Amino acid sequence: MTDAVAMTNERNQIFRDLFSGKTPKRVPISNPATQDFAIQYAGLDLAECQWNLTKLEPVYDKFCQDFYTDTYPGGSIRIPSHYQILGSTPIVMSSSGFMQHPEVVGLLAEEYDEFIASPYDCIIEKVLPRLFTEMNGAPGKVAMALAKAMRAHSDDMASLGTIRAKMNAKYGYATMMGALTEAPFDFLADFLRSFKGISGDVRRYPDKVLAACEAVLPLMIKKGTLPNPAMLGYTFIPLHMAPYLRDKDFATLYWPTFKKLVETMVSMGQNVQLFVENDWMRYLDYLYELPENTILRFEYGDAKLVKEKLGKKHIISGFYPITLLQTGTKQQCVDKAKELMDILAPGGKYWFQTDKSVINFESKGPVAENMRAVLEYVHENGAY
Amino acid sequence: MIDLQVLTQAVGDLDEEAILTMINDFVATNPSGEDAQKVVFACQQGMAIVGDLFEKNEYYVGDLIFAGELLSQTINLLKPVMSGEASQKVGSIVIGTVEGDLHDIGKNIFGSMAEAAGFEVYDLGIDVSPSVFVDKVKEVKPQIIGMSGVLTLAIDSMKNTVKALNDAGLRDSVKIIIGGNPVNEDACKQIGADAFTTNAAEGLKTCQGWVK
Amino acid sequence: MLGGEGKMDSKYYATWEEYLAEHPELDGKPAQAIAPKIQKYEDAMFVFIMDLLL
Repeated sequence: MTDAVAMTNERNQIFRDLFSGKTPKRVPISNPATQDFAIQYAGLDLAECQWNLTKLEPVYDKFCQDFYTDTYPGGSIRIPSHYQILGSTPIVMSSSGFMQHPEVVGLLAEEYDEFIASPYDCIIEKVLPRLFTEMNGAPGKVAMALAKAMRAHSDDMASLGTIRAKMNAKYGYATMMGALTEAPFDFLADFLRSFKGISGDVRRYPDKVLAACEAVLPLMIKKGTLPNPAMLGYTFIPLHMAPYLRDKDFATLYWPTFKKLVETMVSMGQNVQLFVENDWMRYLDYLYELPENTILRFEYGDAKLVKEKLGKKHIISGFYPITLLQTGTKQQCVDKAKELMDILAPGGKYWFQTDKSVINFESKGPVAENMRAVLEYVHENGAY
Repeated sequence: MIDLQVLTQAVGDLDEEAILTMINDFVATNPSGEDAQKVVFACQQGMAIVGDLFEKNEYYVGDLIFAGELLSQTINLLKPVMSGEASQKVGSIVIGTVEGDLHDIGKNIFGSMAEAAGFEVYDLGIDVSPSVFVDKVKEVKPQIIGMSGVLTLAIDSMKNTVKALNDAGLRDSVKIIIGGNPVNEDACKQIGADAFTTNAAEGLKTCQGWVK
Repeated sequence: MLGGEGKMDSKYYATWEEYLAEHPELDGKPAQAIAPKIQKYEDAMFVFIMDLLL
């Protein structure tokens, strides 16, 4: 087992170097596939394994065995038991067994003032009862639903944590922690006002949108805080709504509190990884303004332009198109990895990740083979 | 009677206050069904402006969604004064997010743009199985079917839906358009659809071409 | 305690100081053992609640 300990130490150092802007000894790599993929890859039932987590240890063992990665390829915040107990409507399991987020409205437009006055009060009193059926009812029933859900969630996290510890001990992964949070505007949009709702709000009551973002900012900062800011890890922020806004709405409503969030996390000594979803190419100059060594994982865009404009100040990741794993030959997939590394690795500040997660496995399809080949290639050739 | 050009521009500008004032004032005059139809047409022309501004990157998806909402509101206000036969539909479309997938924002944008352009839209919602598509097609006999999906598994569900339509002998009586992140030319061929799009405005143009 | 700038300012969240002010029965009891534990569950609840909306 000392091999694994040595590997963990090496990988931790690679990430410490990367996050502080030094060039690590090689390009770190992360397996882009999720727990959903791993379960299907193991030939097991997706819904069943998300309920009966004891089935997951061999799933993860095979997953870790077959796909090279420096970071633990697991974790899911969408384990169904607590969602079921609470009567969740914003996160549900579809007929296919995947947990998804249908469009819901948690906060009504007429509740903006209440939300602005105290976001957490409003969340407890209005939003959660609206979105979670078991949180809407007689106090005794609500209390019991919440208690059961917290216990179920806690047990699920403990089960996954135990598996993670075993895999780390066996395969020597980097031991990094993440804290999930969102830009205030995205938090307001995703589960509260909805995509459709916020699109109207931006036109109808931009002043309330701005005030709501400012009111909820302290909660987003608190949510993104690691148990110990000095530990190896990062605040993870998936970015949602900006590509769907006009430039001026982005500038006045989205950017200010988002920038403040990132700056605050960094001032506390934490690293920040942004999942830059959809198309941010028109906002590159804004991204440049963020504190040095912000990790930017891009879903879309011109890798060359991004490296040129942002690559000296920030840590670049993403761009590798997972659809190629589905449609391309093994050689084409590997060539693409080489192409991206040639653009993004020189000079350092690069972490190999794909453009988005791979969640679906088809046994007759090429994805697993192609993905394995790409990860191996980057492992063997990932020099700066 | 409203100044139709001003109304069209107000719709293009997404000026909710101006639009609602004009429409409410108009309805209060107890207008003829024919005049109401002219107003609807003026709104549709306004929506065409919105579509253009979107293609020019002056409007973005959030604006399309807002436009859809404005148009729904407007049509609802006009319903009481629209005569039944005057609301001519250019065609009918059955849309849905395919089985296994719960995402619907793109579908909803397309649906409201299609409605704005004069289509009768039957929206089956999300996680729609092939048999539900088939039953609806049998019931309303649309010209077009639109299938939407964001997850890659949607491709399989789209394939299954086309197969189900084939098996029911309905495939030749409809045009099929697919939309969503994972759709492209390859997917379109695999699935057996007639067209694909990742842009609601473009998809609408395709559908308008089919019903001319 | 999970830090970060800004106050929570909610009837559903209490800092240790706020909690102690409401619970004088804890005066004289070993705060160094009690405070982190009380705060831990307050923050665990916060994370759980917020994760329901993320």
